[in-house]
Amino acid sequence: MERKRWLNAKLASNLEGCLFIAPWLLGFIIFLAFPLGFSLFMSFHKVRVIPEGMEYTFNGISYYREILFNSSAFYEQLIPYFQEVVIMVPIILIFSLLIAILLNQNLRGRFLFRAIFFLPVIFTTGYLLTEFVNQGEGSLGFLERFSIGAYLDTFLGNSSWAQPVKTLLNRFVLILWYSGVQILIFLAGRQTISPSAYESARIDGASPWEVFWKITLPAMTPFIFLNLIYTVVDMFTFPFNPIIKLVGTGNYGYSSALAWIYFLIIVIFLLVVLLLFMRLNRGQRISKG
Amino acid sequence: MNANVETKKMAGRVKVKSNPLFTSTLRTVKYTVLGKEINEGILFKAFLYTIFIATSYIYLNPILKMLVNMVMTTKDLVDPTITWIPSKLYFGHLETAWEMLDYSKSFLISMTVALCAAVFHCISTGLAGYALARLNFPFKKVVFGLLLLAFIIPPQVIVLPTIVAFRSLGLDNSIFTLIIPSMFGFGVKGALFVIIFRQFFLTQPKELEEAAKIDGATAITFYLKVMLPLAKPAILVVFLFSFVWTWNDTYLPQMFLADSKNLPLASELLQMDRVITSYVESQKITSFEGGAIKMAASFLAILPPLLIFMFFQRHFVEGVERTGLVE
Repeated sequence: MERKRWLNAKLASNLEGCLFIAPWLLGFIIFLAFPLGFSLFMSFHKVRVIPEGMEYTFNGISYYREILFNSSAFYEQLIPYFQEVVIMVPIILIFSLLIAILLNQNLRGRFLFRAIFFLPVIFTTGYLLTEFVNQGEGSLGFLERFSIGAYLDTFLGNSSWAQPVKTLLNRFVLILWYSGVQILIFLAGRQTISPSAYESARIDGASPWEVFWKITLPAMTPFIFLNLIYTVVDMFTFPFNPIIKLVGTGNYGYSSALAWIYFLIIVIFLLVVLLLFMRLNRGQRISKG
Repeated sequence: MNANVETKKMAGRVKVKSNPLFTSTLRTVKYTVLGKEINEGILFKAFLYTIFIATSYIYLNPILKMLVNMVMTTKDLVDPTITWIPSKLYFGHLETAWEMLDYSKSFLISMTVALCAAVFHCISTGLAGYALARLNFPFKKVVFGLLLLAFIIPPQVIVLPTIVAFRSLGLDNSIFTLIIPSMFGFGVKGALFVIIFRQFFLTQPKELEEAAKIDGATAITFYLKVMLPLAKPAILVVFLFSFVWTWNDTYLPQMFLADSKNLPLASELLQMDRVITSYVESQKITSFEGGAIKMAASFLAILPPLLIFMFFQRHFVEGVERTGLVE
């Protein structure tokens, strides 16, 4: 009897849970699982739009082969873009971490600065930023002023990194513009470190420099990871992301294959970062113990 | 401060005679400049303000330039001696931009889409977030994994089949394509909003539910009566993010409303940009005028979210700090 009532209660609570999650799951099936499967299906097929609908003929992996082995889209646009992302992400993370830590200081006019640093969240939109870059507001101007371009040429030579670095310097302001949400996340993360940790470190005679490396940074590691994922995700719709132009309704099969390759590269990148973070965390725990 | 000045004065007088007083003055000076802690001294504050002002300049410069350029007359725009202060205010560019954007219509469309999406997002992602944080259901861990998957999937992978599906439903080129996904917690960054709600509900005390259970309240009444009022900061954050991002999004409208005449403001702006570029190329207008009109149009497009943000700014930043967005 007892057991049955307990089971009933458990069933009821499970039912309530299902009720709450059901709309989202339904949405997941309609707007994610189905398109995901369908785009995988299309990437292996030649798709033709005919008056009655669509016509699919099996194509095997030839689209994938075409993209990976002889397409300019992949090597001339996507790979340089990934190189840019690899440089951009650390810059955004370091910049936003720095600003967040500084904003956390007790300072007159803090609210004003917070409001200003939050503007990017509203303004960071494709059209506005492209506009700024076109008007020449994108670079800090130091590339021309100090002819850094020439230095870069001698320093990086003809390596494949020279061009991405130059493009990035030209839109450096844009990178800073893309750190609004990250600053906010770091600000919120910084609030989770208890002041007593800092007090005891100070009593032990730790210098601010040590406090940063031994307390602030380790406590911020999860937020750095979170921000890293967020930044990578945010870059999907970065106005200069070539994938936006490349994936179109011109050729469904080819575009789908390209999108999947793009997705796989992102997943591999995130997995590598995740592994690195787990390594780091384990290393910390060992050194603490 | 006063005491400082006085000690300095005194020290100045007796400096030669007494050594201890001199060192104490030196220490006061050192403390005011460097601070007892590194983050208290004048030097550090100066450093902070320098960084803040420099970064603020980077952020504000394009915006200010936008505001100034759009009210300049053509003569002022060409004049190289005038960069910041126009000789007189001129609203012709704003009027042109207003007409080219078809402002009242596209504003209405954008407002409808962004408001609906924001409201639906608050409802649907709130439910999902609460379920993931507090309720039991089978395969909960799997569902959370699916949520993370939904977060990292690039929209480019799923956009083409969605277009095909909407077309077969006869919904293509309708603004409902932008609203319907948000009813289920998808659409622009829907997964992030579920995560925000989940993190928020995780931080609430467990005793609340136990009390409700004893009272015999069902999960739904409990959620509506207790949890939702508590979740105001999270709702505010999700609402504003959703509104602003949906308002500014050009990617999904560009894909879903490819042949539509009724475009939201951001997409209308993108089209106008192309038109103006072609005008400039065919020398119908000068590039200066074209730039000014573009700036005026950008200003018109960004104005509503900016006003909303300014209104909620303080609550918003506090809200993010309290949502536990980052557990």
